[in-house]
Amino acid sequence: MATTSFTAPKLSSPTFQTLCRNFPLSLPIPKTLSSFSFHLSPFLSRFHLHHHHYHPPRFHPRRLFAVRAESENGAEPIRHYDFDLFTIGAGSGGVRASRFAANFGASVAVCELPFSTISSETTGGVGGTCVLRGCVPKKLMVYASKYSHEFDESNGFGWKYDTEPKHDWSTLMANKNAELQRLTGIYKNILNKAGVTLIEGRGKIVDPHTVDVDGKLYTARNILISVGGRPFIPDIPGREYAIDSDAALDLPSKPEKVAIVGGGYIALEFAGIFNGLTSEVHVFIRQKRVLRGFDEEIRDFVGEQMALRGIQFHTEESPQAIVKSADGSLSLKTNKGTIEGFSHIMFATGRRPNTKNLGLESVGVKINKNGAIEVDEYSRTTVPSIWAVGDVTDRINLTPVALMEGAALAKTLFQNEPTKPDYRAVPSAVFSQPPIGQVGLTEEQAIKEYGDIDVYTANFRPLKATLSGLPDRVFMKLIVCAKTNKVIGLHMCGEDSAEIAQGFAVAVKAGLTKADFDATVGIHPTSAEEFVTMRSPTRKIRQSSESQGNMGHEAKTAAGV
Amino acid sequence: MARKMLVDEEMNQTNQEEAHYDFDLFVIGAGSGGVRAARFSANYGAKVGICELPFHPISSEVIGGVGGTCVIRGCVPKKILVYGAAFGSELEDARNYGWELNEKLAFNWKKLLHKKTDEIIRLNGIYKRLLSNAGVKLFEGEGKIVGPNEVEVTQLDGTKLSYSAKHILIATGSRAHRPPIPGQELGITSDEALSLEDLPKHAVVLGGGYIAVEFASIWRGLGANVDLFFRKELPLRGFDDEMRAVVARNLERRGINLHPQTNLTELIKTDNGIKVTTDHGEELIADVVLFATGRLPNSKRLNLEAVGVELDNTGAVKVDEYSRTSIPSVWAVGDVTNRMNLTPVALMEGTCFAKTVFGKEPSKPDYSHVPCAVFSIPPLSVVGLSEEQAIEQANGDVLVFTSTFNPMKNTVSGRQEKTVMKLVVDAETDKVLGASMCGPDAPEIMQGIAVALKCGATKAQFDSTVGIHPSAAEEFVTMRSVSRRITCRGKPKTNL
Repeated sequence: MATTSFTAPKLSSPTFQTLCRNFPLSLPIPKTLSSFSFHLSPFLSRFHLHHHHYHPPRFHPRRLFAVRAESENGAEPIRHYDFDLFTIGAGSGGVRASRFAANFGASVAVCELPFSTISSETTGGVGGTCVLRGCVPKKLMVYASKYSHEFDESNGFGWKYDTEPKHDWSTLMANKNAELQRLTGIYKNILNKAGVTLIEGRGKIVDPHTVDVDGKLYTARNILISVGGRPFIPDIPGREYAIDSDAALDLPSKPEKVAIVGGGYIALEFAGIFNGLTSEVHVFIRQKRVLRGFDEEIRDFVGEQMALRGIQFHTEESPQAIVKSADGSLSLKTNKGTIEGFSHIMFATGRRPNTKNLGLESVGVKINKNGAIEVDEYSRTTVPSIWAVGDVTDRINLTPVALMEGAALAKTLFQNEPTKPDYRAVPSAVFSQPPIGQVGLTEEQAIKEYGDIDVYTANFRPLKATLSGLPDRVFMKLIVCAKTNKVIGLHMCGEDSAEIAQGFAVAVKAGLTKADFDATVGIHPTSAEEFVTMRSPTRKIRQSSESQGNMGHEAKTAAGV
Repeated sequence: MARKMLVDEEMNQTNQEEAHYDFDLFVIGAGSGGVRAARFSANYGAKVGICELPFHPISSEVIGGVGGTCVIRGCVPKKILVYGAAFGSELEDARNYGWELNEKLAFNWKKLLHKKTDEIIRLNGIYKRLLSNAGVKLFEGEGKIVGPNEVEVTQLDGTKLSYSAKHILIATGSRAHRPPIPGQELGITSDEALSLEDLPKHAVVLGGGYIAVEFASIWRGLGANVDLFFRKELPLRGFDDEMRAVVARNLERRGINLHPQTNLTELIKTDNGIKVTTDHGEELIADVVLFATGRLPNSKRLNLEAVGVELDNTGAVKVDEYSRTSIPSVWAVGDVTNRMNLTPVALMEGTCFAKTVFGKEPSKPDYSHVPCAVFSIPPLSVVGLSEEQAIEQANGDVLVFTSTFNPMKNTVSGRQEKTVMKLVVDAETDKVLGASMCGPDAPEIMQGIAVALKCGATKAQFDSTVGIHPSAAEEFVTMRSVSRRITCRGKPKTNL
């Protein structure tokens, strides 16, 4: 989508934009204010410190006029601000909220740190994690690494390699970085075209309506915090030798032997990437299985499939220290022993919201124990004029969710249409190899929430694998509420899972039933058609009291038609 | 054997008034529709027999095979070849991702062909097992209808078996047909195209339908020169015009020579190959000429007319909404009825037949929102109405949302090929009437969209679905601005 969303700016027709620019206050800001009853306290004098040059001067006379008119009408005097919205952080959520706000007629500024592929307190870049250090570079690396599997597959289809294909790391890095540069440029363009003022620097909140960017002060009716999150490495001896996902996406050379600590989606994605690019990969996970929080069967399945492709999993093994040897190689000391000879040790042990040094505490924005900003359903913080979207709020940390939150916020603030992001049936994907796509509840969640459910599963060898001779399989699962027949969960692991899950997410979100799935004709021959041809449940789980003490679960094997 | 079974049945028979038949159902043709109907009927408790011609990759009046067109001469082998061919461009794309490959990649056609044949033989066996597991009795030979309740199977050795059946189901499918032009015997059909000894160096394809487009893609992907001739301005008549243009552009960009509004007039054998002459007077030399000019129902040798089963002018068996022919005890499903010639539709028809006849639940196949795919490279997949159909059927305005984008993979590979997606929406009801996509993974992506459309999903419901990032499919739920609005006025509703 990152590539695709660039077609989006065309939606703001020039006419509309011109209109907004000419009549900035004719748009429903006062209405918005009254509908939310957070009145601007006039306690701050109108300090108007900086007329930065981006700001079209013609705004001002009209503004003043508008303010005066407002006062004459007997409404509360409206303070003058530099901007209707000041956004800190130009990642997915911040850019979306800023653009949409500007399209709705608001005057908007956004500040962002200078570009770098590695994030820090002082570096970031327009586009944010998704574009620069997340979804996009990750997916490009997945594409690159998937080829080694495709070479193997193609052998089965008659293709031959006189010499084993070799991978040149620097070509990939150069092409990937060129693409990231292009994208950050496009994002800047998107902001620019929407009429959003972009300020490079580190934003800090001074008071409920003032942001300091490297010493310059800007006032805003509303402030949006969308500063995202950053990888977190636990404090163990030798942690300075470890790399995080930022660094892993931009290594100067191929890691020969890499340890990946963590069992979450980032760990699995990188395991697949390095494995495909012919590194020796060891994954260390605290638990017995990968991907805590995912459907249990999916967890088992993806672990098995990845192991078949050569990734070595070390389960229930926690890192305790990293030691650097004289030859420069790294050893990982765990609760079970020491493994030597790593060129790289990557930690994928979670991410933390970037809430430090933003001035949040002093202005009264409440932060939870994980460092995430607490917000209400409309993404409003404990300070009425300050809002937050995206990973910094640690709700569902996905780009499309940040986009949803940003779009909802712009509607709430500037279109007089209070909008809550809807977190039901948010689909997601793990770009492991093979990938996972899912929407709705896991079997475990479904049992907890609904009690009686029917589970349909399919575990098959896809047509491609029958020819390639590789041990690739596909696993699919539908979870159906026994009472309503609604499909409440859909999970898949196997080729194209991420692409396949999207359409089904529309169906699940729309509350469709298993009967609706059954009524749909398949597309033949595809993997996806399996989701509409699952005739008999693999098991029916009933919580009814009469089910004899087998933990309330009655497992029934499929009739196998 | 049949006698003995009859005895068993007699003992179980409670309704003594009813006539006794060897079978409750006898199916002629063990392809997708026939096997499905036979198995499901057997699962409902019916006693079922089925006959099928002996197996061979290339079909004829006396050759077929359990599994039918889909498994032996259609979907499955075709998809296998598409997979094989898609690697060609796929591997090229690897270079910009840092992979160092030989200048020219070697490809072994015989290996692919051999493995393809192994796979369809395996599937043929699986289908036979499916039938026997369901308790269906399989006969090898050519089936014929002798009377409304009587079939005759001519076995390989020429011996004839005769059975009575309460119901007879015709599921004999269809076969590729050749245009009547001089030298047509030099050309091949899709049957042979799936089993060529050698990969063509220069292939000529006649036809604009999905089969033509798929084979053109396969051969081009494997390195052949391909010339594609078709009657209309664009290939894939019946599909959305905008998407047809996209497919045409993609084929052309991938090196297939398109010859729109051109027909072949003659094939002549020469020392260099087959000389192909067009109605524009052009001449080409090709080593393979494929006729993908349509398929005809296999209804000729079934003795249908004599029994009174009506055929239409294309030779398709006429059926009512429940797949019943003009003879009440004779039914027909699948391509032989020429309704919607797709495997999953034949499966649906077979299922409905079994439910209707043996499940005490009259069921009509539902032909609305049947999704389908064209496995060109890249593929096209659609569900619901094309823009043209929507405009024709709409009462109010039609909104069209399109998205044309460079797939993320291409940003690094450098491949110049855009993916195109399209949603056609009823402005008044907000219902999504049609969806199409041309680009990688389109058929996989479209299946879920088809569920949504089948159940009348609205554009608002699409919009409220969160995207899966980064995917191509997410574009279907992030189409915010309408590309065009078509006012469909001037169709006054009147009873006159």
